[in-house]
Amino acid sequence: MKKQILSAVLVTAMAASLGACGSSSSSSSTAASGSTVTTTESTSSGAAKADVANEDEHTLSVEAWDANFNIPALEAAAADYKKNVDPDFNLNIIQESQSSDIEDQITLAASSGDYSQLPDIVLFQDHYFHKYVTDYPDAWSDAINSSSIDWSDFGQEKLSYSQYNDEHWGVPVDNGTCIAAYRTDLLQEAGYTIDDLKGCSWDKFDEIGKAVYAKTGKYLLCMDGDGNDLPYIMLQAEGVSQFKDGKANFVDNDTMVQVINMIVKLQKDNVLYLANDWSDYTNQAIQGDMVAGVINGNWIIPTIEQVTANSGKWEITTLPTLKGGDGYASNGGSSLYITSNCKKTDLAVDFLSKTFGAGSTETYDAALKNGGVITCSTKAGKSDVYQQGVAYFNNQPIYAQIVEMGTHVKVVEQSDYHYDARTQVAAAIQNIINGADTKSALQDAQDQVDFTMGG
Amino acid sequence: MSHTSHPKSSRLVRKQNAAGWGFLMPATILIFIMSFYPMVQAFIMSLKTGSSANMKWAQPVLFNYMRMMKDKLFIRSVGNTFLYLIIQVPIMLVLAILLAQILNNRNLKLKGFFRTCVFLPCATSLVSYALIFKSLFATQGLINSVLMKLHIISSNINWLGQTGTARFVLIIALIWRWTGYNMVFYLAGLQNIDYSVYEAAQIDGASPWKTFWHITVPLLRPVIVMTFVMSINGTLQLFDESVNLTKGGPANTTITMSHYIYNNSFGQGTANFGYASAMSFVVFIMVAILAAINMKVGDTRD
Amino acid sequence: MTNETAVVKKKKNKSHIQRRLIPSYIFLIFWSFISVFPFYWMISAATNKSLDVAQGKLIIGTYLAQNMKALLAAQPLARAMGNSFLYSTVQTLLCLFVCSLAGFGFEIYHDKGKDILFSILLLAMMIPGVATMIPLFKMASKFHMLNTVWGFILPSISTPFMIMMFRQNSRNFPRDILEAARLDGLNEFQIFYRMYIPCMKATYAAAAVITFMNAWNAYLWPKVVMTDNRAETMPMLIANLGGGYTVDYGMLMLGVLFCSVPTMIIFFVLQRQFAEGITGAVK
Repeated sequence: MKKQILSAVLVTAMAASLGACGSSSSSSSTAASGSTVTTTESTSSGAAKADVANEDEHTLSVEAWDANFNIPALEAAAADYKKNVDPDFNLNIIQESQSSDIEDQITLAASSGDYSQLPDIVLFQDHYFHKYVTDYPDAWSDAINSSSIDWSDFGQEKLSYSQYNDEHWGVPVDNGTCIAAYRTDLLQEAGYTIDDLKGCSWDKFDEIGKAVYAKTGKYLLCMDGDGNDLPYIMLQAEGVSQFKDGKANFVDNDTMVQVINMIVKLQKDNVLYLANDWSDYTNQAIQGDMVAGVINGNWIIPTIEQVTANSGKWEITTLPTLKGGDGYASNGGSSLYITSNCKKTDLAVDFLSKTFGAGSTETYDAALKNGGVITCSTKAGKSDVYQQGVAYFNNQPIYAQIVEMGTHVKVVEQSDYHYDARTQVAAAIQNIINGADTKSALQDAQDQVDFTMGG
Repeated sequence: MSHTSHPKSSRLVRKQNAAGWGFLMPATILIFIMSFYPMVQAFIMSLKTGSSANMKWAQPVLFNYMRMMKDKLFIRSVGNTFLYLIIQVPIMLVLAILLAQILNNRNLKLKGFFRTCVFLPCATSLVSYALIFKSLFATQGLINSVLMKLHIISSNINWLGQTGTARFVLIIALIWRWTGYNMVFYLAGLQNIDYSVYEAAQIDGASPWKTFWHITVPLLRPVIVMTFVMSINGTLQLFDESVNLTKGGPANTTITMSHYIYNNSFGQGTANFGYASAMSFVVFIMVAILAAINMKVGDTRD
Repeated sequence: MTNETAVVKKKKNKSHIQRRLIPSYIFLIFWSFISVFPFYWMISAATNKSLDVAQGKLIIGTYLAQNMKALLAAQPLARAMGNSFLYSTVQTLLCLFVCSLAGFGFEIYHDKGKDILFSILLLAMMIPGVATMIPLFKMASKFHMLNTVWGFILPSISTPFMIMMFRQNSRNFPRDILEAARLDGLNEFQIFYRMYIPCMKATYAAAAVITFMNAWNAYLWPKVVMTDNRAETMPMLIANLGGGYTVDYGMLMLGVLFCSVPTMIIFFVLQRQFAEGITGAVK
């Protein structure tokens, strides 16, 4: 019996592999399951991923991540372009699990000098673009610079990421403008309203937070302690950078020191919950209903909305600042960039400039509805869809509000080592909470960033 | 090696010898192309610096190796890796021998069932089991709620958020995943030992502990050396668990060497291939030295 | 000790022996529970809503159908399963062939030169995977093997561990068969093909289980070399489910379940041969 099973397994395996080998010689790895491919490709072609060389003249390939966010936005743009410009247009969307997959791919392509595997367009994290265009200039195309896009329609802060050498390299997709979202019911229980929090000082925030925790047992703020967005957001709301003249500026940066002391204080006062990683932050803290407030890029909204029981109880407003007054910041976000492997730059430029670049209502409305992607185009932000109240947020027209808030975000000095600095600042905060001295922890962090930059 | 007594013509021997070399050629060539050649390339790369698209010889040529000595994070990653090695490998191997010893008992019932259960964790992919452990040890996760119900803890522990507990969870996960795997090797080794040796010992009135120490361990020595080498090798190259379970955090305090090397070649926007290659070369040398020591120790006691 | 005395002894002390084994049973039950529990948790999570999973709900829920629907809508599950099966099967077959051939060669035609070569090959076991990734990627792209089954499998067809395993097991291959076959006029490859392979079934089974599991579970290298969606494997699909700003835990665990079942089935089916094969390897 056992022997029969074994031989049956081996025979099946044999047959499967023979079939596979036979087909792999003619049409490569796609053959095994080719029928489920939704996008149209010529099946006779080789195994190339994006297979830019063999696409027809109406097809573009684009690589992006997050099936619930950016990809619906790209689908919206494709539908828009197909309907209004080119009925034969076809967008081949290649899905990756996370932004770093695309960064790795550019790295690999550039290091091996083989760009032929790159798609026509990639979605790329804003903060990383400068580093990648400096390191791998051959991977990118600046064709978009000569397009007819009206750049003044977009916020300056957003564009500062995709500009390099006074040229435009990318087209903005989403908007990273930060929101401060609060549970009005819990605030009320503690005797406050959201107006008390609008542009309040962090000291006031601390005071309210303590009251909320005492009354409801919920934290007024939570943050992913490892990726640490909070120090960056708080600094930007003050208009201050982690860098000065291209070097890390931690220890002698008074604002930085104040911000970090504040974060540590908030944590000690049970006002701030530091989650240990991203999923802990989204799944435990936010969806596990541990918090009365969230501050982050507006892309956090779909996560908040998953707790349907709290619909109507949330509202959004501006961020606190150290001295009080409305704070504006931006965190995360990405833009679309044309790669050097794109052979149909005219089509790529036309596609981008008539959809995302033109503030097309059709693209952005569908992107908002299907993916929750909020535009940073002022023009698109004026559409009816954007003006509608959102039931989850007590019928506030939050989308229009966010687009408006986005125009106030200050431009601060950026660096290729943006995330290195953030990681080190996050580490410093962890160390301070665990008892280290602020000054020396920040010195360590700054040394480590200097060390990385010196490689 | 047994040799045949047949007189053979030297031509036949030569022919057989050629066939022997022929048989091991495909595997040998593949290993040379897929492991040694890339390693040589990596070594050359370790002497260079700059953007990976345009690498230049380092000034001085050992720049990357010198840099390593000053890199606090690299030194910490070495410390972490060795910590896991020193704590996890012995616990795991002792548990594995113990389980094998128990399962080798002829009087034990449901042997097949237990063996399957013990081995089951090895069938999960590294990505899957990291995800499973992460959710079990989440702040509001199952482990915390059980401990709370049993009144062992009074408030939820942030397992993965503190260095000590995060390392603990990582070690627990490693033990969970790999004990059964090593147990299979020990069990196999025990099955090669004549069972009557044990029965004789039992009649002589030897305690189970004595039997274990004086019969099992010496007879199993070759297998123990082999599992030790495999475990040292696996632990020094530990990567998936660090990436998927703790992401090296909090504050890079649980990061392993391979994870740090990966971060330097792909993660976080830094593609410092030269430096990453230099570090991986150092890891290679460490593993080789440890494995050599281990095999020597295992050998000379005979 | 003879069988008879063993039988007598057994009868006499049967209940006594079982009583002495109680601590063993307790330990085994304890460890089995620890081993199996996460699997139960995975299954229960696959049947629950994301929010319940995040809060550690243990009881099997009623959300399986919804999770399944969501999973099928979000990811091309069939394609990833198909890819994983294809790559893992091809890799297993080729690895078994190449490594058993080498193991056979190293042991049966054993001499000083081959011994030295063998220890050199063992060194390859100590090369960290992260070190060779970049050069290997360059090679794969140069020879147009990105997104092909070859790009996936070539680096792992020949592994020192498998060669070692076959070499060790070959010691059990009876020499007289070898001589008899030579006298019958079989050439060396025919001996391998007709005598060795049928004789070493258990070793092949053990090697197949290990290789298949490694291939199925591989993540890092496939992620580098399989850049096209169409070539996506199961671990990559799970990682996709876990990426993104919001994660649906119920759906994710269902994906994890799908990813774990095939390797478990292979192990169950080949369990006995697996144990036998390993036994030969550690002799």
